Amino acid sequence: MTQDFRSAAPPAAEPLQDAPPSVVWSDAQLLLLALQVDPVGLGGVWLRAGHGPVREAWLAQLARAMGQRPLVKVPHHIDTERLLGGTDLTHTLQTGKLQWQEGVLAQAHGGIATLAMAERLSPATVAQMLYTLDRGRIRQHHGEADCRFGIVALDESGEDEPGLAPALADRLGVWLSLDTVSRCDSLNTLELLSADELARTQSELHKVQAQDQDVGALCQAALALGIDSLRAPLLALQVARVHAALHQRHTLAQEDLALAARWVLAPRATVVPQPVQEPPPEESDSQPPPPEAPPPDQAQDNESPAPPPPEEQGASEQAEMPTDQELVEMLLAAAAAALPPHLLDRLLLQRQSPQKGVRAAHSGSSGQAQKHTMRGRPLSPRAGKPHAGARLHLLATLRAAAPKQTLRRKPQGMQTPARNRISLWPEDFHIQRFEQRSPSCLIFAIDASGSAALERLAEAKGAVEILLQQSYARRDSVCVLAFRGAKAEVLLPPTRSLVRAKRALAGLPGGGGTPLAMALQLGLEQAMQVQRAGMTPSLVVLSDGRANIDLAGMGGRAQAGADALALAQRWALSPWAALWIDTAPKPEPLAQALARSMGAHYLPMPHVQAQRMAAAMQTLRGA
Amino acid sequence: MALTFPFAAIVGQEEMTLAIQVVAVDPSIGGVLVLGDRGTGKSTAVRALADLLPPIQVVQGCPYGCDPAAKNPCAHCQAARAASGKKLPTLERPVPVVDLPLGATEDRVVGALDLEKALTQGVKEFAPGLLAQANRGFLYIDEVNLLEDHLVDLLIDVAASGENLVEREGLSVRHPARFVLVGSGNPEEGELRPQLLDRFGLSVEVRTPQDLALRVQVIKRRDAFERDPAGFRAEWEAANQKLRKNILKARSALERLEVGDDLLHLCAALCQKLGTDGLRAELTLLRTTRAMAALRGAKKVTLAHLREIAPMVLRHRLRRNPLDDTGSSVRVQRAMDEVLGGDGSKPAHAVAAPQPGAARG
Repeated sequence: MTQDFRSAAPPAAEPLQDAPPSVVWSDAQLLLLALQVDPVGLGGVWLRAGHGPVREAWLAQLARAMGQRPLVKVPHHIDTERLLGGTDLTHTLQTGKLQWQEGVLAQAHGGIATLAMAERLSPATVAQMLYTLDRGRIRQHHGEADCRFGIVALDESGEDEPGLAPALADRLGVWLSLDTVSRCDSLNTLELLSADELARTQSELHKVQAQDQDVGALCQAALALGIDSLRAPLLALQVARVHAALHQRHTLAQEDLALAARWVLAPRATVVPQPVQEPPPEESDSQPPPPEAPPPDQAQDNESPAPPPPEEQGASEQAEMPTDQELVEMLLAAAAAALPPHLLDRLLLQRQSPQKGVRAAHSGSSGQAQKHTMRGRPLSPRAGKPHAGARLHLLATLRAAAPKQTLRRKPQGMQTPARNRISLWPEDFHIQRFEQRSPSCLIFAIDASGSAALERLAEAKGAVEILLQQSYARRDSVCVLAFRGAKAEVLLPPTRSLVRAKRALAGLPGGGGTPLAMALQLGLEQAMQVQRAGMTPSLVVLSDGRANIDLAGMGGRAQAGADALALAQRWALSPWAALWIDTAPKPEPLAQALARSMGAHYLPMPHVQAQRMAAAMQTLRGA
Repeated sequence: MALTFPFAAIVGQEEMTLAIQVVAVDPSIGGVLVLGDRGTGKSTAVRALADLLPPIQVVQGCPYGCDPAAKNPCAHCQAARAASGKKLPTLERPVPVVDLPLGATEDRVVGALDLEKALTQGVKEFAPGLLAQANRGFLYIDEVNLLEDHLVDLLIDVAASGENLVEREGLSVRHPARFVLVGSGNPEEGELRPQLLDRFGLSVEVRTPQDLALRVQVIKRRDAFERDPAGFRAEWEAANQKLRKNILKARSALERLEVGDDLLHLCAALCQKLGTDGLRAELTLLRTTRAMAALRGAKKVTLAHLREIAPMVLRHRLRRNPLDDTGSSVRVQRAMDEVLGGDGSKPAHAVAAPQPGAARG
């Protein structure tokens, strides 16, 4: 089944998520061939897949595909020295000479670096890696060496988690999700290229020429899909080239470009391509996105014969050259069929709070992950003996001992240590110190229901703004939840960007019931997530406490009140502080009772003034 | 040395390339802060910066790359001068453009005990860090808004004093660290501390070009570069050379150019209007306008130059009301219209760079 499977690439316009998972798997198989041919040029793969036999099967094949070329694993907690190279302490200690140890990235040169749990990589690690990737060089013991590699980022993050660092994802060519593939699909494997085939394909790759038309079509498709980054069309071009080389073509055929659109462009789309759609507001200075799907009559106006329908694209080599417009249209069809299923939802959300593309939904991640590294920010090591609670700082200890080695080696009436040992004396010991300041994240749960809050929503927003300003000054993160009608939702995931918080708030509409219990539940969930990210959450509820929608989303004050109370009590069990700002015109007993059972500080809105608020926040943090 | 994308081959992004050239003409303006989306060529432009700069003379063997003519050289050069009693041998080398990656350790940035020397020879010696490498050159921080606080503190201090003072591990070293700070980042991912913002002379905002032809050109050039870096660089060498010459010419013109009192008044009025703190904004405005005029080969500094450059200088210096949604570019434009009067006179040499403020609405 090998050869024909390879040549019969999946039809360009096959919808990905509706297609049987076997198509996804065959895509993944084809990707292995592409990686085998050009592991470096493709940038890499963002592989979204849970840990399991499917992913293992793919990785095992990847290892076979790489053959003699390096395939190194990078654990998510790797330190800079191991990543980029540095002193090999063990060896240095043994020999008494400075020994340089090559970093894993240097070892990956010419091959692939696999990032396990890539979503948990610290921004520092990501930055170091991208720095090397962008420059294609790495520091060696003396001087520099070439270091070019592809990245396979294994991402196991769930829907609600921040996922891969955007800067990293941007540089990875192919974004692929294996989540729908089942075990039995994965048993079908594709035979990899033999050594001869590989050598031939690689020499073909150098001969593949991209026409201006091809580049133009990819750029236009990217533009129509709302992809801002210019890396995307560049990477797509390389994918198309590799695919062409696999088919021994020297020019790019439609199916090469279609595959590139499907693999590279579609997953990055931020706009559903529609001819009538208004261009996003920030593009107002340029011409509207190209009309990617002209009406049929217009297509017929073109001199060339009617374009081959997408299903027949396998035979496109014989077909006449398509016009630019048709090419773009075909690419968009291929990409549109593979658009991520949640794109529409995300775009709808985005419309409520006018801001840029889907990136906004993701971009909190980097800031959040950064907090993660700030936990226990290391201070400079200090001389002292290691004991419980203070770890030995090996490097600092060695540094302290190093200058004295020559002295200590000289006979001073005492036994001379062996020449190849380092003599450590008690005075050399240094211990590690951390500053224990876990950054905090304020979670705002804002009641936007119709009941009492509607008239006071503006005031509530004002109150939140005061708080935002304070948290800005303190470099806290904020996270905004809103609840109204039958649901509570995360308006803004934890971020340090005040501008975004402000925007999210401004776009918040009012009206509907008061699903207080849902809000508290969401707040609790969010708090747990924030804590996992290494921050200390605190909750600020702005509500009058008059719940009338229960957890199940049904109306009814009694049940709604009971549910809210139950969740308030659950919050009380958590270690985190809370503040309740009562938005009712005059202090509302219901809100007071809820705040009490939550163990929250209670502040009626009429008294909300900057100063009091500041004091309340102070106690909140102190708690 | 890794091959970088040639500066002259950068397509579009006029505001960013202009800002970088202006700083190359007069480094005393301070650094450039480039804010914008991913994949817009921010890092490419900054790393290509070395193309623009003529090589510098350094004292041979000096770890900090001291200027042979420096009045107060580093300790190393002082000792060498005292020992030899005559002129030190010099060396020509490119202006350093040093990358400071986000995760860099303090040791790596500031410098630390030279472990190798200590281990092998038992000598206590200072191994210079990135700050030393960047002396007399540029220090580039990608994603500067995500830089850890303790590194930011450190940079703010060194950038202000031009000197790196190391007191650690029994070492006490003081060495020159004068560099131009260049930062880039995506503002949606986090904000910059005002103190650090202030250290940047100019700030520019970049966007992905929405013009198809421009995009295609970017992709084609980049692709050509990736396929044959050396060949592509050779192809653009002449254009790079031209840019470099232009900058050299502008540098020598800098001293001759006088800024009239009327323009100084306008600068002051503009800053006053916008309520920028301190005199730094005015000083930078003055220097930048002059560098701009020099770059354009003008005989005189004119209002048009001021108008063209003012948004870059002032945009990030407005007193922050973090909850005011009005874009800072708009606020600067408004003040400019008010103080400089209407938008009547177009810049005299508007060919190369469109008026930055006007395009933003």
